[in-house]
Amino acid sequence: MFTLESGSGFWNPLVWMLVFFIAFLLFYGIRGFGKSQYKKETEQTKAFLSGNKEAAPEEMHVKASNLYWGFTTSMRSLYSVLRKMHTGNTSDYLLWFLIVLAVLFLVIGVI
Amino acid sequence: MDVLTFSELFIRIVVGTLLIAAFGILFGLFYKGIDRKISAHMQGRIGPPLRQPFRDVVKLFEKENIVPDHAIPWLFNLIPLIGLIVTLSILVYLPLGGFPPLFSSAGDLIVVLYLLILPSLALVIGGFSSGSPYAIVGAQREMATMIAYEFPLAILIITIAWNLLQKGVPSVFSFTAIASQPVWNQVTGPLGFIGFGILLVVLLLVTPAELSKIPFDSPEAETELAGGLLVEYSGRNLAMYYLTDGVKTVVMASIVVALFFPYNLSPYLSLGTYPAMVIDVLFYLFKVFIIILFSVTLIRVAIARLKIDQIVYTYWIPLTLASLVGLILVMWDHTIVQWLG
Repeated sequence: MFTLESGSGFWNPLVWMLVFFIAFLLFYGIRGFGKSQYKKETEQTKAFLSGNKEAAPEEMHVKASNLYWGFTTSMRSLYSVLRKMHTGNTSDYLLWFLIVLAVLFLVIGVI
Repeated sequence: MDVLTFSELFIRIVVGTLLIAAFGILFGLFYKGIDRKISAHMQGRIGPPLRQPFRDVVKLFEKENIVPDHAIPWLFNLIPLIGLIVTLSILVYLPLGGFPPLFSSAGDLIVVLYLLILPSLALVIGGFSSGSPYAIVGAQREMATMIAYEFPLAILIITIAWNLLQKGVPSVFSFTAIASQPVWNQVTGPLGFIGFGILLVVLLLVTPAELSKIPFDSPEAETELAGGLLVEYSGRNLAMYYLTDGVKTVVMASIVVALFFPYNLSPYLSLGTYPAMVIDVLFYLFKVFIIILFSVTLIRVAIARLKIDQIVYTYWIPLTLASLVGLILVMWDHTIVQWLG
């Protein structure tokens, strides 16, 4: 009943939702035993910045590009080749498109 | 799915979820205690008592639940709870204690693979909703780590499924099928053993990253980011993440057991029904302990924290190549047997 089957895989979202609901009731109840109070608008609610003064949120912004730092640094050699390929020239991109298309046709033709 | 009446299904969902929640929490915290004790002894310390994680949870429930000024309060409070619930929901699809999964035909390995993303995503959302630069950097690192370890993990899963497909098993991603056809029984030569051995090592190295343990704990990095994505969490919200960590440890170890060591002791001992159940449960708990010991405790004591670029490199280059070598060896194992046979 309500089981989604893909041929090799299967999933029943209804069962998962019911399990989720039961577990939610259980842990929401357990969580309720914990203390909910804190001292609002005191030093306590300032972000911890190792003793540095907290600035306005827009000044403490962490750039989204920071996410990719691990990838761009660990695979620097690959990225340097890719960056060189990104010339910004449309005709270069069209050339790459044609080359890839030709390789694809060759592969499909051979197979 | 199995033909169950509505009342049977209802009882199984309610009672099963409550029992599995109790099991996940109790043993998650118990194994956390064992991990802390052993790692302390390895570092020449006495370490906390085994019941310390239970005391930690009680202590956190008594602490103030601080919500920072720049946080998004509803999200900041809700997401630790969601993280714990989705982690717990994975256990209903896994074989536990020598028993088949609670809902063996309601979800397979692919579902578990997707559900495993959710606890990490809960950490990421919690970090972003904190409004702290440390937490945001931690959340970004968690995302990068997730992207990194998914690659070798996916190759590993595909290899196991492909191997079963060659044997003519119909539902290759079903945990029941995987547990009934252990990988070590499927190999026909040394290449297959080496291939699956490599894949086992890869999975044992993916486990600490899934659990944000040293050396892959750069999203938290206490000495650098002061706890990273958890830096602003306290009280009962932090207790929810603490419990999630314990439950996820049991989940990951149970996945390793299900994929590589789904054996029971009872068939070799010719015992009665109940003694056989007890022996199988104890043997399962022992297997989980051994896996946690090797993939969490020993690694985190022996190795220092890696930087995020080193984590990405480790998973995308050496471990992805290792898992591809494992896949090729398993494929050759079949091909060579076909040539000879």
